Amino acid sequence: MSPRQSPPQIAPLNTVGHNVPRIDALERVTGRATYTRDVRLPGMLYARVLTSPHPHARILSIDVSQARALPGVRAIITHETHEVVYGSGSIAGGVQYSDAAKDITLHRRYMFDNPVRNVGEPVAAVAAVDRHVAEEAIRLITVEYEELPFVLDVEEALAPGAPQIWPEGNLALNGRNEARPSGGRQGDPEAGFAAAARVFEGRYTTAFAQDAQLEPRSALAHWEGDKLILHTPTQGISNCRHDNAKDLGLEDHQVQVICHYMGGGFGDKNGSYYFDLIAATLSKEAGAPVLVELSRKEDWLGTHGRWSTVQDLRVGVAADGTVTAIELRALSGMGPYLRRSGGLSGIDAYACPNVDRTIYPVHTNRAVAGNFRAPSEPQGYFPIQSMMDDIAYAVGQDPVDFALRNMRRPTEQVRFTNYSMEECIRTGAELFDWGSRWRSTPAADAGPVKRGAGFSFMMFRSGVGPSSAILRVDGEGLYTLYVGVTDIGPGAKTTMALIAAEELGVPLGRVEVVWGDSDRCPYSVGESGSRTTIMTGYAVVEAARDLKRQIAERGMPAGDGVLIASATPNPSTEGKQRLCFGAHFVEMEVDVELGHVRITKYVAVHESGRILNPLPARDQIRGAVLQGIGMALHEDLLYDARNGQPLTAGYYGARHITHLDAPQIEVAFIETDDGYGPFGAKTVGEAGIILSPSAVANAIYNATGLRMHDLPITRSRLLEALA
Amino acid sequence: MRAFVNRNARSVEEAVALAREATLAGRSVAFAAGGSDLLQLMKDHIPSRAEAGEPDVLVNLKGIAGLDRIESAGDGTLRIGGLVTLSALVGNALVRERFTALAEAAETVATPQIRNVGTVAGNVAQRPWCWYFRNGFPCFKAGGDRCFSAGGENQLHAIFGGGPSYIVHPSDLAPALVALGARFRVAGPERERVVSGGDFFVLPRQDALRENVLADADVLIGVDVPAPAAGTRSAYHKVMDREAWTHALASAAVVMVMDGDVCRSASIVLGGVAPIPWRVPEAEALLAGERVTAELAREVGTAAVAGARPLAKNAYKVPLTRRVVERTVLALAARA
Repeated sequence: MSPRQSPPQIAPLNTVGHNVPRIDALERVTGRATYTRDVRLPGMLYARVLTSPHPHARILSIDVSQARALPGVRAIITHETHEVVYGSGSIAGGVQYSDAAKDITLHRRYMFDNPVRNVGEPVAAVAAVDRHVAEEAIRLITVEYEELPFVLDVEEALAPGAPQIWPEGNLALNGRNEARPSGGRQGDPEAGFAAAARVFEGRYTTAFAQDAQLEPRSALAHWEGDKLILHTPTQGISNCRHDNAKDLGLEDHQVQVICHYMGGGFGDKNGSYYFDLIAATLSKEAGAPVLVELSRKEDWLGTHGRWSTVQDLRVGVAADGTVTAIELRALSGMGPYLRRSGGLSGIDAYACPNVDRTIYPVHTNRAVAGNFRAPSEPQGYFPIQSMMDDIAYAVGQDPVDFALRNMRRPTEQVRFTNYSMEECIRTGAELFDWGSRWRSTPAADAGPVKRGAGFSFMMFRSGVGPSSAILRVDGEGLYTLYVGVTDIGPGAKTTMALIAAEELGVPLGRVEVVWGDSDRCPYSVGESGSRTTIMTGYAVVEAARDLKRQIAERGMPAGDGVLIASATPNPSTEGKQRLCFGAHFVEMEVDVELGHVRITKYVAVHESGRILNPLPARDQIRGAVLQGIGMALHEDLLYDARNGQPLTAGYYGARHITHLDAPQIEVAFIETDDGYGPFGAKTVGEAGIILSPSAVANAIYNATGLRMHDLPITRSRLLEALA
Repeated sequence: MRAFVNRNARSVEEAVALAREATLAGRSVAFAAGGSDLLQLMKDHIPSRAEAGEPDVLVNLKGIAGLDRIESAGDGTLRIGGLVTLSALVGNALVRERFTALAEAAETVATPQIRNVGTVAGNVAQRPWCWYFRNGFPCFKAGGDRCFSAGGENQLHAIFGGGPSYIVHPSDLAPALVALGARFRVAGPERERVVSGGDFFVLPRQDALRENVLADADVLIGVDVPAPAAGTRSAYHKVMDREAWTHALASAAVVMVMDGDVCRSASIVLGGVAPIPWRVPEAEALLAGERVTAELAREVGTAAVAGARPLAKNAYKVPLTRRVVERTVLALAARA
């Protein structure tokens, strides 16, 4: 490995690029920030949802008479009283926000479905004068079910004779209602395998991991005439408004979505959800504001998590260690409704031209799968990076050298706006001291506590796209920025203010942000896909440029005057791919007698363009790494195969890591400006979770000589492998 | 949560009387001390007592004076009130010095917040954390007639003493208390009685519905731990699926009376592997009168798991428990 070259320097800026605490930090830490459950409206009612106790059952009858007779009950709704399409929930073909796909889908999801297709699906909802009455009423509802055969396992679900969750079968339909796997072929895979000196094969599995954001979902709805006002924690007020309007048969302007503060999302709060519809419907029925609140367990089973996978990989390698062909055949467990594609990433990080990918999104009667921070990545990178690690040892190469030989690089055909994967790997190897920490022979240590090191590398989307911003300056020189963002954790509100202050050349304190209200803010892409900073941030740059032009032409407004600028840019990268890059290095100790894993060093190197605010950016990487470690070593949603009941919903059951489990994580950014996005900013929020499962698994191999093929690598699995 | 009546007791006698009165009136009763687990059971509609179901009446013990004290009796017996919090136990210098395993066990329970409210009696008498029981399955422990773990997901379940229920006793204090020879003070409608560790906990084959001898109107008012003999040292080693806030996959409380480098006698009680704190006399016997070497510790560990009968998915607990015992014995012998 040759020494790394120094990174290209970028010119420092005034406001952007410095550590800035959140502009709303005081509200948050003093409890003044208003979350959805903090909102109180006159005469508001409280709702509780009855959920299915069965994995698959037809509802024969629902008797609500006892519940209705309970004093204080104001409204009860079921599939019999209200047939409301939950359109965004079906997300036909896994395509989000596509009206066309929603309109044609054969697998339509409703606010209340019959049959119910997983434990935790809503069956009825009650609005009452207080929480206790609502909960009591829920328990007084009698539902007669006809239990149907169920299937939990993705392979069994595709086998002949499996219980059919949909009439069309258990292979999910794509956006054209076709039961076909995704994937495809590149190059000539057969020729690639024929050219290989050795062919490696392996099967890997990854588990369902719930998004597990601290704030369970809730929704507070009330109507002013024909207009719905909805307070709900959502990762995108614009998409949430549109989805709810479509499902309720309203025009977009008839729905106002408000989300100022929320307790995290990680993808669990994309767009709308069925309890938004439940709140709206109950509120209309009762003629009063209604707050729907989900318990932790209801949220765990009733929203979604990362799709589980079963993946068979085949990789051909030439005698010199060059990868000649890659084949992936995978099953993604989507639960009974398709919320996302079920796709898998990772193979693209390699330059190998001959690739054959077949990915089957499969319906089961487990909890629904959907977006979770880098939806397709960590469970996609874990198998390919585990197998490439194995191959490096097998061909006698240092895994870092093997990566540098085989990783993707820009070509004439595939151009990038910039490229720094090699830089990330070399920087990380140096910071981590890979040469001295990695053992060329696995399980080299003699005692029961064995040390080892592993690494992984990646590239991830950082695409540009449309969004909007409005900027106003008044006679006092105060700037008001209107952006349709919410803050799911990374500090979007602060970031937008920073961008405006930088472009305007004014102090941060002169910029006030109006956010989180679809009636007051223009369209924003939503806090999913790590897009807000790049897309809405760029709209802020354009709006600020417009305002500066106006000020240059007409001078600053005086007295009661204002100047208003807006922007709806839709930039493109002229056919080039815009990606962020990263490499993670892990050292650990494994006590092979107790099955105990302790991470002793973790270095995460990322190129995410220019870092607009290093403070939250580092924390985003750290938080994401920790989630990835949880996915690698802990989290699962176990079911009893005999009755289809989930057993490990919640932080206790799923063994989420605690502060005491969290290693120190060193984060290094390689900063660049490729000329796109606001000041060259790229994806940060999702990037950090992609590599930790594979890097951790590779370090376990280096320490113990055990190749762990199944996530999570729990203590029991390690001990079984060691036995 | 189901509606309930709260009754504040100001004395043990009143607590027992209130419970008895409610029971005779056909209402189910639960005693509330720290309440950290009871509240969750009630929210989840899980019976706090298998026979009684969800409580109609809570008898609140927190107002009873004197039950929150740690005292040393004239003969050196440590008297721990049932309302002593786990934090108080952790922070007590006498406990730390002379009854080390108990302090170490208390320290591994849950989180600081829970240790600040959770009590000794509540920890010892807590209901199982089996995922079937906690998810509302109608198992023995909920008053039902079967154990779902037997042919199901039993990764966390018993390798000793199972059948017909295969829960593991969730308390960390219990193995330490039993290893230290503690006696459990129980107040009830009859006169107060003192029960040995061996008799306090109940195996499922004796009574699958309960984990201990406490009857409906019985209150665990405290624990007495006899003064340790000269040369006694003790330790508690807990292995978890994460570093905090969960129950033991396997644990060992080990008490050794040392005379120089020779072990005069030992008691070894396992946690997280059996429906009760699980004493391993064969392993203890190997240590009596012997110098503790690495080889002997290994034999002790092997003897400790000789009677293990793992289920389909928890065989890993056998080597794990063996190593936990071996290491704890060795570390304790080396402890100055």
